[in-house]
Amino acid sequence: MPSIPVFASDPNEKGPSMSGFLKAGRRRTAALLGGTMLSLAGLLPAGQAAAQMAPKGTLVVLREIDADRYDPHRTTATAAGEALFMLTDTLVSMDWDQKTIRPGLAESWTVSEDGKLYTFKLKQGVKFCDGKPFTAKDVVYSINRWIDPATRSPVKWRAGPVKEVRAVDDLTVEYELKEPFSELLIQLAQYFAGIVDQATVEKLGDNFGVQGFNGVGPYCWASWTPRQDMVLTKNPAYNWGPPIYKNPSPQVDRIILRVIPEANTRLAAVQSGQGDVTQWIPYFALDGLKRIPTLKLVQQPNYFYDNFMGFKVDKPVMNDPVIREAINMAVNKAAINKAVWFNAGEVADSYINPNALDYSAEAASKMPPYDPEAARKLLDEAGWKPGDDGIRVKNGQRATFLLYGIQQTYNNGMMQAVQADLRRIGIEMRIQLWDATVAWGKLATQEFDAFVMSYPYASATDALALYFPGANRPTPNRMNWNDPETDRLIAAAKTALEPAVRAEAIGKLQALLTEANPWLPLIRQPLWVVSGPRVEGVRPHGIYGAALYKGLDIRLTR
Amino acid sequence: MSGANPVAAAAASSATAVPPRRPGVLKRLLREPIAALALAVVVLLVLAAVLAPVLAPTDPFDNDLASAMAVPGTPGLLLGADGQGRDMITRLLYGLRATLLIGAASVLLGGIVGGAAGFIAAYYKRVDGLLMRLMDVLLSFPAILFGLAIAAIFGPGIPAVILALSIATVPLMARIVRSAALVVMRQDYIEAARATGMGDGRLIFRHVAPNCLSPMFVFATLRFGQVILLGSALSFLGLGAQPPVAELGSMAAEGRGFLFFAPHVAVLPCVVIFIVVLAFNLLGDALRDALDPRLRV
Repeated sequence: MPSIPVFASDPNEKGPSMSGFLKAGRRRTAALLGGTMLSLAGLLPAGQAAAQMAPKGTLVVLREIDADRYDPHRTTATAAGEALFMLTDTLVSMDWDQKTIRPGLAESWTVSEDGKLYTFKLKQGVKFCDGKPFTAKDVVYSINRWIDPATRSPVKWRAGPVKEVRAVDDLTVEYELKEPFSELLIQLAQYFAGIVDQATVEKLGDNFGVQGFNGVGPYCWASWTPRQDMVLTKNPAYNWGPPIYKNPSPQVDRIILRVIPEANTRLAAVQSGQGDVTQWIPYFALDGLKRIPTLKLVQQPNYFYDNFMGFKVDKPVMNDPVIREAINMAVNKAAINKAVWFNAGEVADSYINPNALDYSAEAASKMPPYDPEAARKLLDEAGWKPGDDGIRVKNGQRATFLLYGIQQTYNNGMMQAVQADLRRIGIEMRIQLWDATVAWGKLATQEFDAFVMSYPYASATDALALYFPGANRPTPNRMNWNDPETDRLIAAAKTALEPAVRAEAIGKLQALLTEANPWLPLIRQPLWVVSGPRVEGVRPHGIYGAALYKGLDIRLTR
Repeated sequence: MSGANPVAAAAASSATAVPPRRPGVLKRLLREPIAALALAVVVLLVLAAVLAPVLAPTDPFDNDLASAMAVPGTPGLLLGADGQGRDMITRLLYGLRATLLIGAASVLLGGIVGGAAGFIAAYYKRVDGLLMRLMDVLLSFPAILFGLAIAAIFGPGIPAVILALSIATVPLMARIVRSAALVVMRQDYIEAARATGMGDGRLIFRHVAPNCLSPMFVFATLRFGQVILLGSALSFLGLGAQPPVAELGSMAAEGRGFLFFAPHVAVLPCVVIFIVVLAFNLLGDALRDALDPRLRV
């Protein structure tokens, strides 16, 4: 969460302004929260609040942060997906269950026996925002741009081992692979595989997705003021929405994606009608919001965005599997969920979310249970004896390690709780959280022993094939996990022709990792969307963190 | 808040160069009720910080997630608990300790280096221009920017904050000391000391420095309040104390997200910062008045 200095003294060193802090209410209980909020909203004169409400036909979506750019092939930001899924479409779409692939721009497709050739039949009558007809050539251009080394897409591996993408005729695309890639369709549903218009890309060059955009999505680019507003207007021709929606056409004329970084301000904006819908709700407010009759809260249970701690398994202390196992036993995740996440999250007791494709229940059963007493015993038996300061020592090596992460409320709360839990079993964890601007650079170094992170994923293979291949060191494989068996299982899962074969291979990998403990899975983030009184039809989707996905079925009553 | 410009305040008293430790300064100080109160509060705060390990009812690092964000008045938790369920009293005492440490260390370090630069600039005319332009350059950087840069290079933490605030204090102290020393250097006793063949170093330490102490002291006290505020701001931005170390600014930052839900977590450390800064500013003002002969009745 970006921090806004409420009382930061200005550079000229004048007096402080602490009014922001002193205005706070005094009551705490969740039951009173709604009342406090309403009274806060009530501070605005009714007329003014109404005046700030967006005009009819304009949906105001509140967001926490902005993205660096909105070019699907040149960003991986979760925030970019919030707009990109609306700005353009993909060949296939994802169902609410996050497992089933549905038609998108392709109305049907076939896969060859050897799993290397995908043939997509495109829908007729699809048009770009500028009115230009969409053809197979646009698919070829977009995929080739995505995987072109010159584009430098950080996620071009998601396109699979492409041999060639061909336009057979205007409405047929052949996607040929060098070897089978069992999750190609899942990857082609992500915004990274979004279709872009060649002429606009060439016209805008580096500023594509910054100054403008031309796609085949339900909404078109109108304007973008970074860190403030992104305005999208309805694509009037659009009637080819994914079948998961009741109405394949957009029903609001305009969408304003407005950035309000401060959680409390965002919350007040939803309640005063300045914003219509948001997925960025501070978790402490969930219970209070549920009690406000004019607001609607909907949850997406199939949401895969996990917080975990990873260990650099080749560093001193961390290279001892006993330490990693003891850490996994010492941390009281349920208490963390309650205190830090206000019980809104879910305890992660497996590497993969149980609702995700190819989750292995058998692997999850091997997860070390919460038992600090057993953790202490395990360490004692392994020769880690408590030193004078309570921190364990073995062969002159203190059980201490350095953790890096991004400076953010939940990371801070979770890591302090983990730190206290580990201190109780005699392991010292030093926390160093970095501002988001430098954190990613710091997280690519070998300076730290452990790190905390959260990430969205589509399936078990998607998650593990990203983090654990030896070839992905030092990032995103920040654990320096280098294991031939892991690489073999990932390859087997990726190239499997049968879903069952893939499930078995990736299930084995889940079991292998659960026993080796290169991670400490912590909390699964929930996805809730709150919408205001004039909004109907909001159902959170959550693909790559984007709650509103295509933005269809949403209506404004006034 | 006094609102006084410390540079002007210190310069005002420097112009008269009152010798330090003259009898009656403390007495004059205590005649002012507000000054006496400020001094009492400062003494109490320093005592509380020094004795934190004795006074704190609980271990500052041990959490109890079950009582996270308990309201003030909860049995056993007079001021409530923070997001980790740690007693706010303990956290505030240790936070005060870290905050005062940051303030004292930065003012001391910045004061010594800045003071030395000021004396050298005043005494050796050849380096005066160069040294003071260097100070002007330093003065043009906001302390927050220094903090950001240093934290980016060395990593966030209390040492980084102290370093940043020390550097930000150096040019201010250097200017005040230089102006005070220039006045002292024109005095006859300096001529006399020089005539006796006294060396440069001895002259500065024995005769120039002691006569510049009072503006230095006033400035240091006023600067202390500012530095604490800046240090808290840097910690609030995540550049200062790293968890689980308690520091008032980072405590405020941790509670900021829950202002509606558990206001005490953010408000209490802010109130303590407010009291510390106010007390030091009032004390600095009163000290200046007490040391200024023009205000003597």
